[in-house]
Amino acid sequence: MPESTSTRRITIDPITRLEGHGKIDIFLDDAGQVERAFFQVPELRGFEKFAQGRPAEDMPQITSRICGVCPTAHHMAATKALDNLYKVTPTPAGRKIRELVYSTFMAEDHALHFYFLGGPDFVVGPTAPAAERNVLGVIAKVGVEVGKKVIAMRRRLRELTSLAAGKAGHPVFGLPGGVAKRLTAADQVRFQTVAAEAVEFAQFTLGVFDDIVLKNSDYVNLILADFFTHRTHYMGLVDDKNQVNFYDGSLRVVSPEGAETVKFAPEKYLDYIAEHVEPWSYMKFCYLKSPGWKGFTEGAESGVYSVAPMARLNVADRMATPLAQQAYGKYIATLGKPVHHTLANHWARVIELLYAAERMQELANDPEIIDPNVRTIPTAVPTEGVGVVEAPRGTLIHHYQTDERGLITKANLIVATQNNAARIAMSVEKAAKGVLSGKQISEGLLNMVEMAFRAYDPCLGCATHSLPGSMPLEVRLRNRNGETLSTLRRP
Amino acid sequence: MPARVRVLGLGNEILADDAFGILAARELAKLFPPDEVEVIESSESGLHLLDHVTNVSRLVVIDSVQTGRVAPGTILEVREQDVRAVPGAAAHGTGLFDALALARKLGFPVPTEVVILAVEAADCLTLGGPMHPAVAAALPRLIDQAKALISKP
Repeated sequence: MPESTSTRRITIDPITRLEGHGKIDIFLDDAGQVERAFFQVPELRGFEKFAQGRPAEDMPQITSRICGVCPTAHHMAATKALDNLYKVTPTPAGRKIRELVYSTFMAEDHALHFYFLGGPDFVVGPTAPAAERNVLGVIAKVGVEVGKKVIAMRRRLRELTSLAAGKAGHPVFGLPGGVAKRLTAADQVRFQTVAAEAVEFAQFTLGVFDDIVLKNSDYVNLILADFFTHRTHYMGLVDDKNQVNFYDGSLRVVSPEGAETVKFAPEKYLDYIAEHVEPWSYMKFCYLKSPGWKGFTEGAESGVYSVAPMARLNVADRMATPLAQQAYGKYIATLGKPVHHTLANHWARVIELLYAAERMQELANDPEIIDPNVRTIPTAVPTEGVGVVEAPRGTLIHHYQTDERGLITKANLIVATQNNAARIAMSVEKAAKGVLSGKQISEGLLNMVEMAFRAYDPCLGCATHSLPGSMPLEVRLRNRNGETLSTLRRP
Repeated sequence: MPARVRVLGLGNEILADDAFGILAARELAKLFPPDEVEVIESSESGLHLLDHVTNVSRLVVIDSVQTGRVAPGTILEVREQDVRAVPGAAAHGTGLFDALALARKLGFPVPTEVVILAVEAADCLTLGGPMHPAVAAALPRLIDQAKALISKP
């Protein structure tokens, strides 16, 4: 960063429930051109210290409390880390029930995201006035009946998660070696019924995406816009046929050209992934050890990679279920492969919604799902365990080390937003450079910058549940001495 | 038959001052019979709160907040109509008010009165961290304030 005292800093700061959430700093040079832009999210502190000395078996319950958005993802990653810690393989029914619950959770989260979190940008429209870019704007666009359909679907999916996992907002069913509760024949029928509804709902949602987004050339041009495009590596879980899998498999990395560069067992993640630290941020930026950290740059020579729906579809050869595979074919035919357009995450998310629903249906129809043998009792002395799942927002890694009694001595988490941190920072800067110039900054332009990071759906801290969105957005123009030159407020 | 009054304690028990709403809800649950006042604790966010804000006539929400404009421990009483930009301009920031606005738009039964009692927090990001003394000290005051809101005719 140049030391020019006349460099101006613009801060976009959604003052939400916790001050400082998701801050964007944009530095302008003398000519009013964007020089650098930074995106920062606050991180929870003290996880390692908090975990130390606790019994490893408590981790699925404790870590699910870390985040009010994806408790099931943390619960599942922690449970899988316990399998690995105690060197125990879940029974077939135990494994299938876990994946069934996980697919149910993914379907719910993706549906909610598409309509109500990404929807204000993508369904309502990027150039719509700020006053319409909210859930009410989404309802105005898709209609009250569709709104009710989304809410009803979400409720039925959550009821099933609660049925199998204890509580949707705080699952308690995962144990090393399996699950705490079997499914009955009556439970199976409920899952079959809702799964069939979910498949239909997902197909309907693809239709909505088609009508609203793909039939509108302005949207398509925006997806393809250069300032929303980065040629980076991608990472995600695949099964033994290189198909997308949310629950288990190998981590596969592909280059910006789409070639597999490495595929590894999740326990080996430290051999392939490292974290880079920048003086201006307390965030850690994950990168691939090969080719290594080369700065915030694109291309095959850079270690920057990304996770989340678009990345998962990039690393896979195909989808594991027929309808999702069909949708995937159209997506690839339209955008090529790998897809480098950040906003394509929204489309990829809908395809994954369909996959989650179909996978749910497959598992619900599996006769073994009601087998009462749902747990293998662990007997090994614990030392170290790693568990990985694909959370809705990307690869989530839990890593624990324990003493011989199973008390945690060391714990590490890598959440999706850390995997994506470098690319998100690049996206914000590129979007800012692409759309901002001169000293006039409009709502619409700022929204384009925000869209660049919202497509990743970064977790802006893990505890936002109440007042976000209720406070205005502040944009501060500052000089390098920290003096505020002017303040803009969003209504 | 839904309760007439519901207390919704929001927060995260393991996240320093963010535990406030949960602890307050637990205290209030001891003071009223469950058929009169329904008490819910939740660590969830955004539209996940939808189920908790419908089918009740009076809703008292207890939470922590960081405005950075008042001292930690200050109790803010906010009504839905006092809040600007409802629902929020930030697409990711769907929260309580968005859940209420959405419920209303879709024709679900929503409370006629929504009051938020929020304590100004000092730290909501340290896992396992203790509550700030000023925030902890605000708990009895908040309970009194909540009792008055719950009991008024």
